[in-house]
Amino acid sequence: MNLRPANKDEVAGLLAAAHVKRARIGRLDLGAMCRVLEHAPEDMTVTVEAGITLAALQQQLAPRRQWLPIDPPLADRLSISDLISGNISGPRRFGFGTVRDHLLGVQVALADGRLVRSGGKVVKNVAGFDVMKLFIGGEGSLGIIVEATFKLLPLPETEHFVARRCDSVAEARRIIDDVLDSPLTPSVLDLHNVGCEPGDFQVVAGFSGAYEDVDWQLAQASGLGFIESTTLDYERVFWNQPAATVQRHSVLPSRVTEVIGELGGMEFVARAGNGIVYHRGSTSTPAASSIGALARRLKETFDPNGVLPSITGA
Amino acid sequence: MTPPHETAVITPAMVAALCAIVGTDGVIAGDDELLVYECDAYTLEKHLPGVVVLPRSTEEVAAVVKLCAEHHLPIIPRGAGTSLSGTVLAVTGGVMIALTRMNRVLEVDYRNRRALVEAGCVNAWVTNAVKSQGLFYAPDPSSQSACTIGGNVGTNSGGPHTLKYGVTTNHVLGYEMVLPDGEVVWLGTTPDGGEDVDGYDLRGAAIGSEGMFGVVTRVLVRLIRAPQAFKTLLGVFETVDDASQAVSDIIGAGIVPGALEMMDQLITQAVEAAYHFGFPLDAGAVLIIELDGLAASLDKQAAQVVEICRKNRARDVRIAKDDQERAELWKCRKRAFGAIGRLSPNFITQDGVVPRSKLPEMMRFIQRCSEEYGLRIPNVFHAGDGNLHPLILYDERDPDQVRRALAVSDDI
Ligand SMILES: Cc1cc2nc3c(=O)[nH]c(=O)nc-3n(C[C@H](O)[C@H](O)[C@H](O)COP(=O)(O)OP(=O)(O)OC[C@H]3O[C@@H](n4cnc5c(N)ncnc54)[C@H](O)[C@@H]3O)c2cc1C
Repeated sequence: MNLRPANKDEVAGLLAAAHVKRARIGRLDLGAMCRVLEHAPEDMTVTVEAGITLAALQQQLAPRRQWLPIDPPLADRLSISDLISGNISGPRRFGFGTVRDHLLGVQVALADGRLVRSGGKVVKNVAGFDVMKLFIGGEGSLGIIVEATFKLLPLPETEHFVARRCDSVAEARRIIDDVLDSPLTPSVLDLHNVGCEPGDFQVVAGFSGAYEDVDWQLAQASGLGFIESTTLDYERVFWNQPAATVQRHSVLPSRVTEVIGELGGMEFVARAGNGIVYHRGSTSTPAASSIGALARRLKETFDPNGVLPSITGA
Repeated sequence: MTPPHETAVITPAMVAALCAIVGTDGVIAGDDELLVYECDAYTLEKHLPGVVVLPRSTEEVAAVVKLCAEHHLPIIPRGAGTSLSGTVLAVTGGVMIALTRMNRVLEVDYRNRRALVEAGCVNAWVTNAVKSQGLFYAPDPSSQSACTIGGNVGTNSGGPHTLKYGVTTNHVLGYEMVLPDGEVVWLGTTPDGGEDVDGYDLRGAAIGSEGMFGVVTRVLVRLIRAPQAFKTLLGVFETVDDASQAVSDIIGAGIVPGALEMMDQLITQAVEAAYHFGFPLDAGAVLIIELDGLAASLDKQAAQVVEICRKNRARDVRIAKDDQERAELWKCRKRAFGAIGRLSPNFITQDGVVPRSKLPEMMRFIQRCSEEYGLRIPNVFHAGDGNLHPLILYDERDPDQVRRALAVSDDI
């Protein structure tokens, strides 16, 4: 059953009713809750209803030359609520970080229907127990995010992507190390084999920022063999395939090439600077999980009647 | 770690049991020795802990915590005791666990830009250990030459460079923690593990919890590449209002400075008297604006900042001519609290954040409070974040001043 609440009070009402009945709630479609509630360009913050898609939000920020520097795949279908609950990221996380680096506050409908706020609207917020962090990557298991406040960044003046092809994992490793040892500050440092000849790879570096900085970096990068101008199209191609679910490995960044060696030619996209590998293989060592007992206690405290889904890895 | 309401009594047997864990030189129980630990930098309230222990390892911390749990004694972790909010007060006596002996940088992983440090490691030591490799640890509280990484985790500390780089929670990947029952857990990314950890972000939730959830013993921090170049500007303004407006305009122009700090006239005078940098004594406010990043665009950005300052009636805008002048400027800023001693024997401070656009209004409010209560309130703060800490000056020997200081602090 797909429910489409019109506003946060309806979300709260649905949860309260389920809580009383001790029933698991169906998937909520927050698509009707899609307003930007407050954009304060001079403070570089924005508060939105959590059903708005990331793409729609970026579109509304762009005229003021600002953006939320998170670039997950399929942003036109991804609600802010799902972005936060899934802690989803994209290639630019190497330069800009992930949701937790930009989220200032949330309003959440708890399992029993209470609406609570965590965090704030100001740029820095450090007092007390940081409950908000539990909702990031919490997969909606502790509450449903109905509003969110983010800090924003100015849109980069310009952005360029360059690639270097290579035909072995060892060479890919050397190229990545060269970039890391150089004075370059790429916003993207990816390794992938999407659309490559079998056995070939592509290292992609992206530069975002002031024209002068990007130009200087492109010149440096060409010295490292990044001579082919490119785009992030491989991302779109990789994520748009209807095939099996994408697996994620999160490893020490220096081990990325090792993991890829073990994939045996399967298609993948890797955030080489962050140690994340995405592929559609069957085997996946689960990412290290935060300790189970504490996590179970949290779940029981927040959702004693099992209204919300449980979380993987807890 | 909920303390019982009555004061805990530390028996000689308890002291002996603690000595058995950490050695006699690791236990401080005599009243004279305990005086150092009776308060942190927030000096209005003082309490003696029952006993202070100085463990050398996670195992010792765990054994002490377990012992305390068995005897229902409250425990309180302590780093360097520089916290300003009175959190390290041993309100009910009990056992203070001071991490000062666990102060090593254990491992630096250059390739993965991480360092593993003990919780008692002093903040500035981390950067000192890695700067020759072109890396640094970003959170830089003004107390960084004394405060510990464990204390930074306890308070989620920021610093002047928070504006661009974020606070402690953005730079701590994971840590080892001794829970109140003595169990040792690792929260977040492990030293040889990946950045993304499935399940709840317990690491993030407990950062800033002031030791309430356990004692942090080892911390895995993120290191970042040191900026290629800096440009540090000093803007001199007639009024706090003009300076505040310049702050708003700089941010509004899409410039993200590494740091953007304001000092008002009172604090500038005190800092100048103490450190002789050459600050103007008659300016209403000065801004320290630091641009960092790749060298290529810094001149353009600096020119933009100068223009914005001038548009807001800056009397003068100076650019630090070299690294040494830049270092001097930051030394003054970071030791500004230290210069307060010249103005007044005691001070309390509040740590509050307002939207940047509300800065001028808030500054006027503080000024009114100062007049109303007849106490001087100098301001030195992270203007770029809207993070204020007005310093309320008083003399603890005058009970009426103490009363007014607490009252005005409440108002603010
Ligand atoms: C001159 C001066 C300037 C300052 N400037 C800044 C600034 O710019 N930004 C800022 O954020 N703060 C600032 N502070 C406040 C203070 O320095 C920070 O809060 C600092 O992080 C405290 O570190 P500490 O080691 O002194 O911790 P402590 O003061 O000893 O402890 C702080 C809190 O953390 C807990 N704690 C300490 N160690 C541990 C541990 N190992 N495990 C669990 N909990 C622990 C304590 O119980 C306590 O609640 C300043 C203070 C002074 C005196």
